[in-house]
Amino acid sequence: MESLAANAVPSQVPTPAKPVNLLQSQPSQFYANLHPILLLSLPLFSFKSLVNDPVNTLLGLTPALAILQAIYCVVCLPSTGQAPPAPHKPGQKKKAGKPAQDIWAKVVPVFLSFVLTFTLSAPILYITVILFGAPLTTHHPHTLLLALHLALLTTPQLYYAHGLDAAKWLQIVSLQLPVDEVYGMTLGACVGAWIGAIPIPLDWDREWQKWPVTIIVGLYFGAIVGKLAGGYVFKGWKIKLS
Amino acid sequence: MEDGEPQSSGSKDLKTENERLAVQFKAQHGLVVAFFVLLLVFHALGIYLFCSGFLLSRLVLQDRSACAAPPVELRYGYTPGSPERGCWHPKSFDKAVVIIVDALRYDFTVPFQPRPGDEHPHHFHNALPVLYETSAQQPNNAFLRPFIADPPTTTLQRLKGLTTGTLPTFIDAGSNFAGTAIDEDNLVEQLFRAGKRVVHLGDDTWHSLFPGYFEPNLTKPYDSFNVWDLHTVDNGVNEHIFPLLEPSMQGRWDVIFGHYLGVDHAGHRYGPDHPAMNDKLKQMDGVIRQIIDKLDDETLLVVMGDHGMDVKGDHGGESDDEVEAALWMYSKKGIFGRGHDVPSEPPATPKERPVGQIDLVPTLAFLLGLQIPFNNLGQPIEEAFVGPGQNKDYANLAEVSRITAAQIHRYQTEYARARGLNDSATSTTSNLWREANERYGAVHAAERVMSDLVEINAYNAYVAYQTENLRICRSLWARFDLVSMSMGITILFGSFAIIAIYAHGIAADRSTLTPLLLGWGAAGTVAGAIIGAAVGLIPDVSLAQTSSFGAAAIGIIATLVGLWPARQVLRLPVPRTFWGGLCMLVTLMLCIGFAANSFTIWEDEQLLFLLTTFGVLMLGSSLGQPDPEDRKLGAANAVSFLAATRLSSLSRLCREEQMPHCRSTYYASATSSTSASWQLGIPFAVALILPSVIKHFFARTRNYNGSAIIWIGVALRMGLALIAGFWVLDAADDGEWFPRAPQDALKTSRVVVAQVVLALAFAAGYATYIWASPPITVKTEEASPEQPAASRPLDPEDPHSDIFTPLNSSPQPRSKLIIFGYANTHGTRYFLLPCAWILALQLVQKPMGQGTLALCMISILNILEIIDANGLRRSPLGPTLLALLGSYYFFKTGHQAALASIQWESAFVPLKTIQYPWSPIMVALNTFGAQILCAIAVPAISMWKVPPKQPGLLGRVAGAMATHMLFYAAIAVATVVEAAWLRRHLMLYRVFMPRMLMAITALLIVDFVGALVALVGVRFSIVSVGDVFGWPGT
Repeated sequence: MESLAANAVPSQVPTPAKPVNLLQSQPSQFYANLHPILLLSLPLFSFKSLVNDPVNTLLGLTPALAILQAIYCVVCLPSTGQAPPAPHKPGQKKKAGKPAQDIWAKVVPVFLSFVLTFTLSAPILYITVILFGAPLTTHHPHTLLLALHLALLTTPQLYYAHGLDAAKWLQIVSLQLPVDEVYGMTLGACVGAWIGAIPIPLDWDREWQKWPVTIIVGLYFGAIVGKLAGGYVFKGWKIKLS
Repeated sequence: MEDGEPQSSGSKDLKTENERLAVQFKAQHGLVVAFFVLLLVFHALGIYLFCSGFLLSRLVLQDRSACAAPPVELRYGYTPGSPERGCWHPKSFDKAVVIIVDALRYDFTVPFQPRPGDEHPHHFHNALPVLYETSAQQPNNAFLRPFIADPPTTTLQRLKGLTTGTLPTFIDAGSNFAGTAIDEDNLVEQLFRAGKRVVHLGDDTWHSLFPGYFEPNLTKPYDSFNVWDLHTVDNGVNEHIFPLLEPSMQGRWDVIFGHYLGVDHAGHRYGPDHPAMNDKLKQMDGVIRQIIDKLDDETLLVVMGDHGMDVKGDHGGESDDEVEAALWMYSKKGIFGRGHDVPSEPPATPKERPVGQIDLVPTLAFLLGLQIPFNNLGQPIEEAFVGPGQNKDYANLAEVSRITAAQIHRYQTEYARARGLNDSATSTTSNLWREANERYGAVHAAERVMSDLVEINAYNAYVAYQTENLRICRSLWARFDLVSMSMGITILFGSFAIIAIYAHGIAADRSTLTPLLLGWGAAGTVAGAIIGAAVGLIPDVSLAQTSSFGAAAIGIIATLVGLWPARQVLRLPVPRTFWGGLCMLVTLMLCIGFAANSFTIWEDEQLLFLLTTFGVLMLGSSLGQPDPEDRKLGAANAVSFLAATRLSSLSRLCREEQMPHCRSTYYASATSSTSASWQLGIPFAVALILPSVIKHFFARTRNYNGSAIIWIGVALRMGLALIAGFWVLDAADDGEWFPRAPQDALKTSRVVVAQVVLALAFAAGYATYIWASPPITVKTEEASPEQPAASRPLDPEDPHSDIFTPLNSSPQPRSKLIIFGYANTHGTRYFLLPCAWILALQLVQKPMGQGTLALCMISILNILEIIDANGLRRSPLGPTLLALLGSYYFFKTGHQAALASIQWESAFVPLKTIQYPWSPIMVALNTFGAQILCAIAVPAISMWKVPPKQPGLLGRVAGAMATHMLFYAAIAVATVVEAAWLRRHLMLYRVFMPRMLMAITALLIVDFVGALVALVGVRFSIVSVGDVFGWPGT
């Protein structure tokens, strides 16, 4: 059957995707490096209250995280359809264009990305977290906020950079996209959250083992590590599933 | 595919060639099965060696205490040697009635006390008040104390402890089903030798322990293992015990042992919190009151539980609920008392003032004037010797505990000598012994002063000696034979290496290499056994140990040597793909996790997590398939797999350690072992849905015809409906829905239904499986001449569409032959085997377990489709995933890695009484049902949707099976090593050892089923396909 399947679909292979390059502007480079530090500071400085009152802390962190991610998209990433910045024009005066129009061309996709993150990614990730064994009858706000944070750290940048192209998204979910900063952050966040679940059953009787603190911490750390690794170390790599 | 080859030599040659290939396949297949049996032998030998070192313990001394030989000079010049007056101490009673109420937990006997979260009495509360009442109201006549059992809390082990006064050894735990006579000094033997007439009524375990000691005419044993029968034993004991208590029967007996089983059986069958338990306890209350009425002044009455029961009503382990039994002594003589500052009311909870069960032995011995059994480690119970009233007889108390301690000291000296121990092991006890004797010396010096304080000091010093001695014995008798354990671990590692290389280190057709490995391996095993046996002839060396180690070790080395000629095709058995790496990572994580008790305790949740990880990744991978058909198929099955896995996770049976973070849903309530009435609907739903789902998978590739319709559409559905009926009958019998139905009518009909289902599954199922032809249909149509002359799918867009094969040499007009179901001939043909087994496995599951096992079956089919859609047939993903699935559904069918979760009652599904070997087989089918089902499904991975003339199929099936075993072997090796490493861990017997036992049992069962059910089954499937389509050339 394998051979038949290969014969049956000779074309259809989408054009090989290229890793996303950051915008070349100075603020973009600056913020791209600042972003992980800001992200890290979120759980780090609120860790105590996260342990004491996860629901309210996570609720409070949500806008901050959303804003950080939005700034990252606007400042650092080329939005869908936007031609990649041409690096071979160093002397060009960019700001000579139409700044107002430029801003709107970025704000609208960011807005749409976050609408999709809240209405599409978060519910899907909520179901996924439940599938992984999150409590079914209790802790609903906890799980919901976990899914929200998971969504905010994994998907807005993808919507922003790749749009809603079905073929692209099939590549994203089947791990076939070449690794870059954006995709690395998503993968890192997922792996981090996965690892974050490991200490929960241990009988250390620590407050921080309660749902979903460890996963949140793993999620943030994973996102940051993934972003850095995807941007600097593994850029252009492809995961070979089979 | 060979279809295109020119076949000029004619059909006769083709036929002989086919026959030759068929014979060749059968020979190769037999050798592959034999090789897997050899692996099973290696595993069994390794496990035997490890267990014989790990489950070792105490040396049984044959010495007997003699009536005339007390261990120490007696006080006041008392002359020993007269059983009439009392051997070592004046006796208090001539006769005794000892009643054992099996599984009488302490909280059954004391008034209910509300606690936060537990405000209302349960069914088992306040139903047996007589013990508490008498102790509180007549403290001189009775006392009641918590009675702590030494685990394992099985009746046989407890009876040993209660009569010999020594600690149980773990190797005996397994012998509850076949008890053997006690061959060390014990109370029953002493009574017999002292000429007392001992009568026994009830549980027949006594007769296997003490054969020939009971009065043959008066004794009435009853079968103890029909745990579904609550009344036969109890009514039998009542029928015989009351006539014996009549004055006319005085003089016919001296000691009666009456063993009631109803409470225990009510617990096993319903759990403690059930009206049946309430009735049973009330009946026991009445029985005890009646015995009190008939008792004369010279007779001692003892009522005790041999162990408790857990929240489900089972026992065997060492949880608090299981070890906390009750002990009550009563006599009309009024000789009992309470120590200093002890209230006359019995303790409110079993945590206050408990006594050990072994303490009964010296207590009874002194009260009845017997010598203390030689191996006894217990101490006399204070209440029995301190005397009634205000003037406490501390001198008596000090004297009995001094004699007891002296006997313990004598035993210890003897034991150290027999074992060749040096003094350092016993130095603390030696000091305590010396100190106690000094204190006692002070008593002697002050004998005229009669100072209570001095006597109490001496008493306390002897108690301290006894307690410390007991503590040392406990730690000492968990003695591990490290040599034997290391041998076992070595063998397990070696066989693990063989399976790893066989599964992943051979870059060629495994089936052609197997004969070589088998030849070397078998020859090495035989040679090793002979060499080992020769070494074993040296004295002081265990023959069994050396010969099994020799056989396994040399066998393994020889198998590895057998790989030498194939060194060209060998490679390092490491993962080379994403999926292979993930499988190894997950297995490794589980293996490491078993070193921590928390991960072991929460294994069920982790397996859900890991399976979901696989499910999500497979969903993603399927969505990345270039072919839309594959994409759709893979994704749909991955979603179904995820949903089935999460749905079945709702079926939980919590182990004690998971509380309070877990809620059991497997039974009607957390304290019962019966199903809720809504759960009875599950088997009907399964009968309705499961065959249709399987049919769907067959029909997708047009394979739903012929035998498939007969088995899946008719027989399986009928069998599942019968099973549903069985469990309704069972519930009706349990709940006594038809009180006027003739006795046993329900039970008989239930058993008949179960036997019919088993016959259907194994006789009809196997007959169908063996003689079925492949589930394909052939149609002939007029062909248009321009059809090309090679096989190809009818619809090029659909890889699962039917394959069209024109007949090559047919003259004009050409007709074309359409084979429906060509695409999945092998897969569906083989899958009839799991379909037959599922019926038998469903029968022995509780209703909830049937629902989850059906989900397991569906998940297996999902996995097969996903693997096909992703082209991962040769990846380790499938076999490893099935192993994870089997382990996961082990938990979802109401089990835990704890001895208490074994559903012993499944032995009674098709039988009314225990019958060997059927009863243990039923329990095994119940316990490891999920693993068995998954192991049987493993060959389907390599066979699902492969062309009928796929070359090298057998080798791939063998590889998949070896990969599957590799998972279980890894878990077994890890848990064995961890149990050995953590052998001094507090949680050894509670967590690590049960997990280790589960892992090695699962390994042996999967080895066995994999070789003798799955691989043997592959033969019939491939031969029947080969007969129709011809054989692939070599």
